[in-house]
This record gives sequence, C-alpha cells and structure tokens, in this order.
Amino acid sequence: MSHVGLQYFAQFGVDEGLLRAALERAMSRGGDFAELYFEHRVSTDIGLEDGAVNRAFMGVSLGVGVRVVQGDQTGYAYTEELTRDRVCDAAATAALIASGQPGQAPVAFHVTPRPDRYPIARPFDDAGIAEKMPLLTQANALAFAADPSVCKVRVGYGDSDTHVLIADSDGRLAFDHQPMARLTLGATAERGGRRESNNHNLAGREGFEFFTPARVESLARKAVERTVFCFDATTAPAGEMPVVLAAGSAGILLHEAIGHGMEADFNRKGVSVYSDKLGKRIASDEVTIVDDATQAKARGSINVDDEGFEGQRTVLVERGTLVSYMHDRISAKHYGVAPTGNGRRQSFRDVPLPRMRNTYMTAGSVPPEDIIRSVKYGVYAASFTNGQVMIGAGDYTFYIKTGWMIEDGKLTRPIKDTNIIGNGPQSLERVDMVGTDFEFDEGGWTCGKDGQSVPVSLGMPTVRVSAVTVGGVNPG
Amino acid sequence: MAKIEQGQKGAQLLELAHEAGRKARALGADEARVAISRARGVEVEWRDGQVERVQERTRRGLSVELFVDGRYAAMSTNDLRPEAVDRFLAEAVAMTRLLEPDPHRCLPDPARYAGRADVDLQLCDASQAEVTSDARRALAAELEARVREGAGDLPIVSVSSGVDDDWGESARIHTNGFEGWREGTHFSRSVQVTLKEPDGRRPMGWSYTVRRFQADLDAPEKIALEARERARLQLGAGKLSTGRYTVVVDPKATPRLLGAFLAPISGAALQQKRSLWDGKLGAQIASKLLTIHDDPWRVRGLGSALWDGDGFATRPRPIIEAGVLSTYLIDDYYARKMGVAPTGGSTHNFVWAYGDRALSGLVADVGEGVYIDRFLGGNSNETTGELSLGCAGRVIRGGQLAEPVTEVNLAGHFGALWEALVAVGNDPDPNSSSGAPSCVFEGVQLSGV
Repeated sequence: MSHVGLQYFAQFGVDEGLLRAALERAMSRGGDFAELYFEHRVSTDIGLEDGAVNRAFMGVSLGVGVRVVQGDQTGYAYTEELTRDRVCDAAATAALIASGQPGQAPVAFHVTPRPDRYPIARPFDDAGIAEKMPLLTQANALAFAADPSVCKVRVGYGDSDTHVLIADSDGRLAFDHQPMARLTLGATAERGGRRESNNHNLAGREGFEFFTPARVESLARKAVERTVFCFDATTAPAGEMPVVLAAGSAGILLHEAIGHGMEADFNRKGVSVYSDKLGKRIASDEVTIVDDATQAKARGSINVDDEGFEGQRTVLVERGTLVSYMHDRISAKHYGVAPTGNGRRQSFRDVPLPRMRNTYMTAGSVPPEDIIRSVKYGVYAASFTNGQVMIGAGDYTFYIKTGWMIEDGKLTRPIKDTNIIGNGPQSLERVDMVGTDFEFDEGGWTCGKDGQSVPVSLGMPTVRVSAVTVGGVNPG
Repeated sequence: MAKIEQGQKGAQLLELAHEAGRKARALGADEARVAISRARGVEVEWRDGQVERVQERTRRGLSVELFVDGRYAAMSTNDLRPEAVDRFLAEAVAMTRLLEPDPHRCLPDPARYAGRADVDLQLCDASQAEVTSDARRALAAELEARVREGAGDLPIVSVSSGVDDDWGESARIHTNGFEGWREGTHFSRSVQVTLKEPDGRRPMGWSYTVRRFQADLDAPEKIALEARERARLQLGAGKLSTGRYTVVVDPKATPRLLGAFLAPISGAALQQKRSLWDGKLGAQIASKLLTIHDDPWRVRGLGSALWDGDGFATRPRPIIEAGVLSTYLIDDYYARKMGVAPTGGSTHNFVWAYGDRALSGLVADVGEGVYIDRFLGGNSNETTGELSLGCAGRVIRGGQLAEPVTEVNLAGHFGALWEALVAVGNDPDPNSSSGAPSCVFEGVQLSGV
C-alpha cells in the first residue's frame, strides 16, 4: 500500500479487512461484480449581498455506497455510518438483486494508476475565511465601478474537497481527491426606470490558487457587460433561420443536441435517437466531437471515474462518423468494449451512470468572421443559461441569454432571452461551417440526469447551423 | 400545538435538536436554529420484463444556523458522531465570528410561532413500513403488463416503470422558543413508453402518480394507458407554422407557466431589484379569471405544513384574486431588510377558481388552435418578464385534437400571457400541489417553421 493509499484508508477509518468483508457480503448471492464507493466531501460557500460578506455555509457529507451488478441489473444501498456492521448491512441489502452461488472477495487489491490532472498548489483549508472574504469584496467593488447603472450585486464563493476510495470484487482499488473552485456574480442595473439583471460564473478543479485577481476582475467585468447589454436588446424574431453559435459556451449545443443521446445507457436500452447509428455518418466531415476527462484543471475533468476507471479522452464523432458512445461498466460489458471512464455519480447515495465530462467540438477550417458574413438573416448566439433534451425523439433546446441579429452578414441589433428548439441529429447534420477559433469555456456548468447533478464543461469553435427554430416573438 | 402522540414519537429527534442548540450556545452562539431529519425509502426501477435497479435509501442530516455577535453562518452534516458534531460546530462558530455583521439576521419574533392550527394533516401513511420488496416488484411488473396488453401493433421499443416509497421525519428548534416535529410519507409510480418511428426517432410517453397515502394513488391501468397514449400520439409528429395561436395548456404543463409568473413575488427578488412585480401589490397583473389561494392545511396534501421555513404558523391566504396580486412572499430575513412586516416566504397547496369544463370541453370551445401537453427547457426573466419555452402537443382543428406537432417554442411576456388567459378548466392534477387545471390563452406566439 502506497503512502497515498494509507491516507485515504485513514480518511474513512477503514482497512483492507473491512473492504474484503463487505465485498464478500455483497457477493454472497453471486453477481458479476460488487463495488464500494466511499466519499467524503467538505464544502464552504461564502456570500456577499448588499455590500457585506455576511453569510457562510459549511457542509460535510460522508458515506459509502454499495453496488452489486448482475447482467444489466443493479442492487444499491448506502450507509452514512462507516462501521464494519453498517457497511456489511448495506452490502447485504445490495446483494438482494442477485440470486446465485456466492462469489469471492478479492484476495489482493491492485491500485488503479492515477494521473494528476488537477494538482493543488494551495489547499482550500490552508486559506482561512479571512483570506477568502476580500475576493468577494473586490468583485463587488469592481462590478459597481464597471458601470454607473449597477444597483445590486451578489457574489458567491465556493470551494469543495471530495475524497473518494473505490474498491471492487475484482480487486480494483482507486483513490482520488477532487477539488472544485467556483465564483459567481449576479448584477442588477437600473436605467431610466428600467431594470435588467444577469449573472456570470467561473469554475475549475483547482485549489485556492484558482482565485486570481485576473479571474475576479474578469468575472465582475463580464457579468456587468452582459447585464447592461440587455438594455439595448430585445427578444429575437420567431421562426426557422440560420443560427451562428459563438465559440466557447455554445458547446451547450453538443451537450444537449447529441451528448446525452450518446450516453450508452440510453442506447443499451434502445431509447436513444442514436441507438442504431454507431459507425454511421451523422455529420459533415468538418465535425469532430470529443468528450474529454483529461484537460488540466477543467471543471468536468476526472483522474478516475466513480467506478475506479481512468477518465479518458473519448472521441465520439470523428470527421462526421459516430465512432463511440460514452460508457459505464454495465454498458461497456453490454457492448463488449472497454469502459471509457464516463461512469459518474452525484454522491455515494447514487448509482453511477454514463455521464459527460468536458464535451467539445474541435476547430474547423473557416475563419469565424466568414461564418457571420455568410448569413443573410439569422441569429448570432453569444451566451447561454441552460438547455434540455428528449433523448428518444431528439428534440432539444438551449436558452440564449444574449446575442445579436445578423443581417446581410453583419451583427446589427442586440437580442436576449430567446430559446432555441431543434432536433439533435438534424441540427448536427445542419452544422455546415466550423470555425478555426476553438474556445474552451470556464463556466460552472452542471449537468442533471435521473435526478443526479455532476460538474461538466464545454467547448466549441464558432459554428453555423443552417436552419433551426428560434423561439422569439414577431411584431403584431 | 402538535398532538400528544406526535410529541412522544418525535421526542428523540427533538431532544437531539435541542442538544445541538445547547452546544451551539455553549460554544458562543447567541441563538441557533437547528433542523435534524432522517428518512428511508426504496425505489424499484423495472425495464422490459425484469428489475433494472433496486435502490435503498437511509439518510439523515443535521443543519444548524448560527447567530453569533450579529453575524450569521450555517452548517450541515450527515456525520452525526458526537465528537464530529462538536468539532464541526466549534469550527463553524469560530468562522462566523470572522464574517461581516448583518443587522437583519436574527431569529424571528416568537409571537409569530403562535397560533399553530390544530389540524391533523394526515401526512404519514403507516402502511409504508409494511411494503415488501415483492410487492414493489409485482407493481412495477404490472405497470409494464398494462402498457403491453392491448397495445396491438404499436412499435414499442421499451417500457420502463418505477415504484418508489419513502418515509421521513424532521425536528426543528429555534433557541428562542420554536419547536416542531413532523413525519410524512410519499408513494409514487411512474411509466415510460418508448416507440420507434420509421425515420429513427424514438418518442417517449410518460405518466406518473404521487401521493401521501398509498390508497390515494391513481390506478396502475390509468397511468399505464396515459403513458402509452402520450407516446402513441407523438407518432408522425410534424412541425407547426410560426404564428399566433389560441393555446390550450394541459394541467401537467400549466405549472411551468405559473412558476415563471410567480417567481418575482419573492422577498429576495423584490429586495434585490430583480422583480417585475415590484410596486404591483394590489394591482391587476393577470386576467380576472385567475384566482389562486394557498391552502397549507389540506388533509393529505403534497405541500401541506403547519409551520413554514421561519417557524411561522401557516394560514390559508389568497395569492392572486381575480387577477389582482394579493400578497408578496416575504420571509423574515428579507422583510427585515425591506423594513416591512413579513408575509411568509412559503406556499403549500394552490387552489384555483375553477371553470366548468375539462380539457376536451375547452378544446371544443376553442375550435382552432394548439394544445400543449409538455414544455421542454427554456427559461424566463423575472426582472423583465420575457419567457421562451420549448413545447410540443397537437393541433386543434374543428374543436378536436388533430395531428401531433413537435419542436415548437412558446414565447412572450409572462405578464401579457396571463392577461390573455380566457378560460380555466375544472381538471386540476391531483398529483401536484399546484392545483393547476387546463388553461386557455389567446394570441400566443408559437415558433416552428
């Protein structure tokens, strides 16, 4: 056992004997495999409202989830008391899914090699609250200084440390320490009796070093820019038209329109619109889409997934052809492929599912200004808040918070608050121009599925979708 | 006050809460607000002839809000070992001292705790403890069987169902005199039916039922058929021409429109200048047909409660009366910030002034228009009123539901939308605390092709 491994054992107050006993109980009625997922999360959130840093929230969550899998079937139970008896009780409950000859607990454990994608320069608990509070005060002052119309500012600071220990009946043993740093700023501005409000946020897997003066400044400036932008903006028109997506957070298009549909659980169940599309052409040659766990310090990156497999860089669409789904262990076995390290869960209370990590389209060949110039009449979507999808029918949406109308190849009037609705496979086919200007987004995106939230991120070059429904309002 | 037998049942949890309050004070807090809860439940997910997943939940939690030297912080933990709680509380109290003061943070005036209604809300169905694994599996299997029987040549790809029940109890104390304990149960069943279209699309229909008492749930055949019909009626869905339409919204979809409309009446939105309804108390903000009252005391109600998040005794009250905004929802903290009396920040079970027709009658009355049975994504702006939501449903032609349409978007100003309310149904969904019936709106912008 390595020094690092011993630290994790101490964190949870467990030893190999306990792991073996619990796994033996979990396999007492057979099953393909059993797994223990220990998790300890400590988080601190600090808030500023009306000029004062006067609220803080500290949270601790500790527990172990036990999973027993037989074929496609899962038994799951958890306990928040990490004593040998309680962990074995949870294992016995999870075991009820199986009905066969008892399986073996592993004789020896082997540790999954762990890459170091989010080294921590300075732990969060090394910086006291007195060092964290000025970040909020500075962001507040910068936001008020950015525009005289700003009348209300709310700032949120968040940090969390999650330690996990994963052990399974095959002898796999994995550890990880997953930090998360987050800053949010909401502003309201008032001009001539009219009010507008907007938000901005930044997040990454880093220690306290994430909170640089440059990030604090950028957060405040962008939040205020996006707020006062809205004074001149109106809702877009209604109807089908070309939409150009700005580089960066427009990756939400990929996440909603096609990402979820490529999560293999939906495909093994036959309920995704992509269920019979593997190996087929689904987009133009310009389109390559990757779901990537490996980017340094990115919000969606993971060293190991929540099943103990290394998080990988998974190419989903290669030059227009669907080449892989995103797998967890159950779906990988179902399809006879290696796991892709996409098995993720919200907490020890939840089963892992195939989930996205950092999802992006790689850069194409068209200069972004040429893409805008190509549109006679359409929408340029610059910033986004949220999206959703129906996996089977393929209908997806995303909400444009700010953007522009494009008329005769030029950005003309500002727009805001307009939803887009389309069909995923069809919109992907209609991506007919891909920009050279790939940008990775540093926003604090959170993805929801089956009631579980996990942190993700996005990236995109400027792209054109030749036709999609813009949910605005026409005069009259 | 709470009934005697409830007092006895909750005594253990209440004592734990009081103990945490005493500890917080011993560590230097002036006052504290403590909530402690535990819950257990089981969920069975079934798919195409076998169990997909059985998940057992047993959770607990302690949360403490601390008021220290005019400063405020909160902590929550599920690590309830006494030494861990002591250490965490001590750290939290020390941290709170370092924050900036907030003169508006303090416990509510105890006078507001008084007058708790003497009503047995019946929120806990004791039969939950006796539900067996076999019974859950049998129910899940039955839901699938009900979908498949009589499905004929419907191109079914997959049928999945869910059976879930849980029990939970929570105790809450404020160190200036509030004490409350409650327990409750929930039971739910759900069904999803996925079909395959010749072009590869796989539309999914769903339905669910959720109640406090097992015996009140909708029958399995009802939700199975609803889910199957919702799937079947999406087959061959086309797109709608962009235009303005009279729109009939299904009771299951109406709450999305109501949620956007009412979001700006919260104290936080008002005080932070993010509320479209600032200055509109007592003003006409919707059609005269819109009347909504809150009933916190409905027996077996999904949202029922005798006290709210501040410990205030709940009361039935009007929210919207004939289109006029009757009240804001201002909790104790934002009331202090705004310098007004608190009105209570919570709502519970809504009761509308209902019309005399159900969905089919409203569709017949409308004649030509669009029926919307679900929303997909989208958002709204509580500061300015813009609303833009994805949706789908069917065309209304000759007073009948006709061909299905999808990839539709509804947009406008949510105030203008509720002013354009021209009919209210009599068919609220009992599986929701929103009380929302079918609603008819005129001149609504829908986008399509």
